[in-house]
Amino acid sequence: MTLETVIHRVLEGDIESFRFILQRYETPVVRMIKNITNSADTSEDIAQDVFLTAYKKLASFDHTRSDFSTWLFTIARNKSLNALKRKRPVLMSELPEKSNPHNPSDDMARREFYDRLDQTLQALPSRQRRAFILAEFEKLPYEEIAQIEGTRLGTIKSRINRAKKKLRTALIEFSGDMV
Amino acid sequence: MKTKEIYKKWKEQKSQIEVGKSFSDRVMSRIYQYESEKKIPLLGGYRLIELISTRSLGKAAVVVAGVVICFVRITVVIYTFLGC
Repeated sequence: MTLETVIHRVLEGDIESFRFILQRYETPVVRMIKNITNSADTSEDIAQDVFLTAYKKLASFDHTRSDFSTWLFTIARNKSLNALKRKRPVLMSELPEKSNPHNPSDDMARREFYDRLDQTLQALPSRQRRAFILAEFEKLPYEEIAQIEGTRLGTIKSRINRAKKKLRTALIEFSGDMV
Repeated sequence: MKTKEIYKKWKEQKSQIEVGKSFSDRVMSRIYQYESEKKIPLLGGYRLIELISTRSLGKAAVVVAGVVICFVRITVVIYTFLGC
């Protein structure tokens, strides 16, 4: 069954067909929300709102303007932003002091690296973080990210490059090694 | 392990996520609840108040109706005085 058929069937009143959309998109939507909000606890609740909104507004989806995934991710992005507004941002000054992981072969050191990267990611400016997440974790093409963020392709490329540079710098500072 | 490799593994780890098994059911149940609420008559008191308060078009309609009633009332009063 194609996505277009499913959307048509849902709009005709076959509510159960919406499960197809859920099965196809629940993982990327929850993952995107979790990475943007950095909250595993609330990501599924926000994702529920995303799918409910998508269901309510399905009639307004125009496949000539965007792909369904772009449309859905845009809803997810907006809901994540609303959730973030209610949350206190992480400041760079709150990041932990540099430790001494000169031998990052063991699990503990690797865990420290992951934590450091997580914290640096959360401390990035919101726009850079979203662009990076959509590109690196969701593997979305830059054009689609530009559509979701409602900005130009060049701006997205620049945001992603800046985010990568900051993460790389954080790792270099942390380990003294090159990424 | 090189940091480059750690960076790659971190990205892989961030890309992996498990969604709760009941997630779809919870969403579907909210959709069915939404559909059943939609079937409540439009002019039912609570439903009407909800429609007016949650939609900008509803709020605008109330303001327009108020302005029209006010205008009609003023016109009637003026007409009554002039008629005397």
